[in-house]
Amino acid sequence: MVPRPEGAHWIAGAVSLLLGLLLVSEVLVGPEVFRRRPWRAYLFPAVVIASSVLLWLITIFSTFSTMHLLAHAVWAQAALSAGAVQLALVRGKLTSPAWSLVPGVALLVSGAAFLVHEPNDWLYSRSAFLHHAIGWLLVISALFPLGQALRPRQLVWRAGFAVTFVLLAVLLFADRDSATIFGRFGAGAP
Amino acid sequence: MRRALLLCAVAALVAPTAALGHVILESSQPVTQSRLEAPPNEIRLRFNQAVTVSPGAIQVLAPDGTLLSGTATTSEEGRVVTAPVSRVVRGAGYTVRWRVIGGDGHAPAGVFTFGVGVPAPPPTEAVGAVAATWRDDVTRWALFVALALLIGPLVVRLVVVRGPVPARVERGFHLLGVVSAFLVIDVGIVAFVVRASNALQLPLGDLLYGDLQPFAEKTRFGIAFLAMTLGFGIVAAVLLLAWILERPELRWPALVLSLALASGLSLSGHQATEDNAGWLSQAADWLHLVAASVWAGGLVALAFLVWPLAPSLRRNAFLGFARLAVLLVGAMVLAGSYLALTRLPEASDLWQTQYGRLLLLKLGIVALALTWGAAHHFVVRPRFEAGGEPDVRHSLAGEAAVALTVLLAAAILTNAAPPPVEPPAANAGSAR
Repeated sequence: MVPRPEGAHWIAGAVSLLLGLLLVSEVLVGPEVFRRRPWRAYLFPAVVIASSVLLWLITIFSTFSTMHLLAHAVWAQAALSAGAVQLALVRGKLTSPAWSLVPGVALLVSGAAFLVHEPNDWLYSRSAFLHHAIGWLLVISALFPLGQALRPRQLVWRAGFAVTFVLLAVLLFADRDSATIFGRFGAGAP
Repeated sequence: MRRALLLCAVAALVAPTAALGHVILESSQPVTQSRLEAPPNEIRLRFNQAVTVSPGAIQVLAPDGTLLSGTATTSEEGRVVTAPVSRVVRGAGYTVRWRVIGGDGHAPAGVFTFGVGVPAPPPTEAVGAVAATWRDDVTRWALFVALALLIGPLVVRLVVVRGPVPARVERGFHLLGVVSAFLVIDVGIVAFVVRASNALQLPLGDLLYGDLQPFAEKTRFGIAFLAMTLGFGIVAAVLLLAWILERPELRWPALVLSLALASGLSLSGHQATEDNAGWLSQAADWLHLVAASVWAGGLVALAFLVWPLAPSLRRNAFLGFARLAVLLVGAMVLAGSYLALTRLPEASDLWQTQYGRLLLLKLGIVALALTWGAAHHFVVRPRFEAGGEPDVRHSLAGEAAVALTVLLAAAILTNAAPPPVEPPAANAGSAR
């Protein structure tokens, strides 16, 4: 009943890449241009909320270990909370910039779940490396929403937030040696 | 920045061996919880990646705990672990406990069962497994409470306090709904892991890498857990959308889905697994659970949301809930009486068995709650109808506290073993 992990991770990578590209687009052209068509503002939160449902699906397939069940449940809840807050900000239900901290907390918690998930050092294995890389990427990127809440006009916070998702996608796509694009670089058999 | 990005990407891509690949038991021979007709000569576990093992990595245990397996070895580049078995005979169920070390350094472990000439016992009855403990009682209670806090306020908002309400009351209902949906999921996960840990019998550090698949896929409570986790995740998302998009009608699908998902508890409890269980006992159990959840959760919503935040709604809310409570109490008493008769066919079972004594304790608390409710119905309700404004917030909170205590008694009762009963002739056995 358990699908191959790389399948789920590549789907997560694709979603992350989509989110990253949406955010990068908004950074490149600026919010005024990007949101000239109002529906575009809903894209990011809608994809995040949809991905949270997908993560619940992955959660129930993660019963091969308690740790993975818990970690995926944390990611699903973090995604749902962050997506809902973003949607509420777009809809005007929430107005304070301080609500930008919620995605920051979601990134922090998600990153911590990755790091707790991995008991070995960075270079113990490729698995350990990726867990550490993703974990620290998410933990550090929690600073971007914080900066956005404190200094909303500075572009660097939004750019950093956007790049985070692109990097996350790269790391998730690097999962397993049988990856169609990256696998040939690995030493193991597909 | 570009150099850092490049370094990061290259490091991730060229590092050898599996990436996020976790050790997963892909298959086993004998298959988990299978029935064999002939005794096996070996136990064979296939993993999704190479593992290393100690000589005792696979232990096959007879029903009396005798070790029947030999030294474990690996083959097929470390992906397959095999151990010879001897003295396995027909007519008994056997337990397999395993533990390996993966390439990622994690040490997953698990347990499963198989039967030879007989059906395999459920994994919760593996050799070495213990019965439900106080942890199971506490987590089951917390699950009941979370479910009540989700369903009760939803019913109050949709049925009792219909129409526009002050914004802060609306926010309160939204917040309570979303938080409760998350609580149902999280407590459900903890309850599931606690129950599996009774059979896995691993220290906490090892339990984190314990294989939960046999419990999730081969037990009723595991299947219910999977459905409820996914379903309540959707409920949480729907409730959030109801708030953000200002679409209160979305509460209806959330309520309907929640009521349907609550059946997972009934379909995996005593009323579904005992020998004389049937569709009627499962339906009665679901009705009993839902009525109790609406009653307890509704009281919490009245006492802690409507009363302090919306004085103008108190009268209608109280009178509306009083009408609803008559139906709820009726459903609870009828369904509960039927279930008690099903589980305890002899009156003497009430005081001669532990299950019966627990039921008596629960009935005592229920009697207190019903007396409290009757006082509200027959003393306070007429005063509201006569135009009075009695302040019964503390009294409602008290009744809610007693109702939540009833749920604690119900949780303990759920985890207790009822006395054995005779199966009806036409009733077939089912997975537990």
